Amino acid sequence: MLNVENLRAGYSSVPVLHDVSIEVGAGEFVSIVGPNGAGKTTLFKTLSGTVPAMSGSIRFDGHDLLAVPPHRRPHLGIAHVPEGRQVFPSLSVLENLEMGAYTEAGRRSWKENLKRIYSWLPVLAERAAQPAGTLSGGEQQMVAIGRGLASAPKLLMLDEPSMGLAPTVADFIFDRLMDIRRDAGLTILLVEQRVAEALQFADHGYVLETGRVVLAGDSRKLSADDRVRQAYLGM
Amino acid sequence: MTEPQILLEGFLQALAAGLLVGAIYGLMCVGLAMIFGIMRVINFAQGDFMMLGMYVAFFILVGLGVNNLFGATIGPYVAILLAAPVLLLFGYLIHRLLISRVTGARTAGLEGEGHYAQLILTLGIALVLQNGSQVLFGSQLVSIRTPLSSAAWEIGPFWGDFVSVFINKGRGLAALFSVLAILGLWLVITRSRLGRSLRAAADNPEASTYMGIDVDRAYRTAFAIGTCITALAGGLLATNYPFHPFVGLEFVIIMYAGVVLGGMGSILGAFWGGMTIGLVQQLSTLVLPTQLQNTAIFVCFLLIVILRPQGFFGRVVERT
Repeated sequence: MLNVENLRAGYSSVPVLHDVSIEVGAGEFVSIVGPNGAGKTTLFKTLSGTVPAMSGSIRFDGHDLLAVPPHRRPHLGIAHVPEGRQVFPSLSVLENLEMGAYTEAGRRSWKENLKRIYSWLPVLAERAAQPAGTLSGGEQQMVAIGRGLASAPKLLMLDEPSMGLAPTVADFIFDRLMDIRRDAGLTILLVEQRVAEALQFADHGYVLETGRVVLAGDSRKLSADDRVRQAYLGM
Repeated sequence: MTEPQILLEGFLQALAAGLLVGAIYGLMCVGLAMIFGIMRVINFAQGDFMMLGMYVAFFILVGLGVNNLFGATIGPYVAILLAAPVLLLFGYLIHRLLISRVTGARTAGLEGEGHYAQLILTLGIALVLQNGSQVLFGSQLVSIRTPLSSAAWEIGPFWGDFVSVFINKGRGLAALFSVLAILGLWLVITRSRLGRSLRAAADNPEASTYMGIDVDRAYRTAFAIGTCITALAGGLLATNYPFHPFVGLEFVIIMYAGVVLGGMGSILGAFWGGMTIGLVQQLSTLVLPTQLQNTAIFVCFLLIVILRPQGFFGRVVERT
């Protein structure tokens, strides 16, 4: 579904990603892990188009993504749940979800989608009329995820959904993600610093360090890899 | 008439004048609220967009023969209405050609969100419009005349045979149109998909891109609507107010004060901000010499901002 080859990208003329290749098949759950500054968020932003690619190719669902302007990419079926949540603070929770359904697909299936989003994340129904900026961090993360789901995406990209959250809240969000994946059969690409969880739930994993893929493969094998265990799992 | 009757009549008359003028000020402020309050673009040329609205309505009226076609009573309002789409297009083009370089996705991450460049650019546009208009239209006063401006409805008498309020028909109608325009815009901004996408683009341009919104187009649309609304207010004002190429200077400050009073980001707030300014301006004439009208406005402005820094309808939620 998503095929990134030899991607080089960054800010102005300074590349952050050097020669990154990843692949996500339909229905797969793929995790990208790595330390701070490895380029995980930059990779997501390049996929969404807010950071320009310098060379390489990105193919998504038969489209050459680099030829599609950033604001058209969500309409192809990519939902990007950005780092730090980035909800629309002055819009109500419901309006945030409605913005998610800005895509053609999202509008078509809005009613059923909203029902499903509320069933996965009931707190959003309770807070529907409240400005999103007044919610707690965990609730805002749920708004951001709900907003992504409202676009009826083919690929859900999650950038550090556990960032800045209490461990129990982060656990809750991971549990919900597993429910969502099971119920909706969604393809998910996850970037995470909580390496253990990210690999536990994923089919495949990539380890990104200083803009390069240093390890890749089946997530169970990655969890068992000595380098991963020492560097990220503290074993 | 007894002394209290004279006082009461004076007060009611000033109150009525304040409400009528305030409604038009409110509409002006709402135009700026689209651009400055919601999209956070500093536009010092807003007063001159209003001036252009006045002249365009004037030339449609006398130049295109709208006056002869619809008569002297309805003609001016038709001309004002026709001027609105012209200024919508003007706002769209000015944004596309100039303002887009200093707003939207391009400046989202910069320090001050491009405000420094906006300040200089729009001041420059204001100067070009003022001086250009002086060259093209001359500096003598013109007005959009309607016989309604010299007719009035009498309300009352309230106290025996005395104490009546006279409502100028021209101003009354202008105030009515203003309120209708604001209600229409408010519905668009709060209820429609377009309105939601504009607010989202202003709240967080980057996340809006992830929703599939063309952020630059959202900024352009908001700018065009804001220009059109303020120009409409200008046309309505011009039925009672002779104007000249520098008329914008008198009003741009009022508009900014109104938007800040009402609370940044609120359409209805901007309307009440403009209304407050109209009321203060007219009621102050009861106790102060007319030269101090504007002083009274800004003393009140300072008091309100000290007591309620976020404005009447200001949101307390932080922007990202």
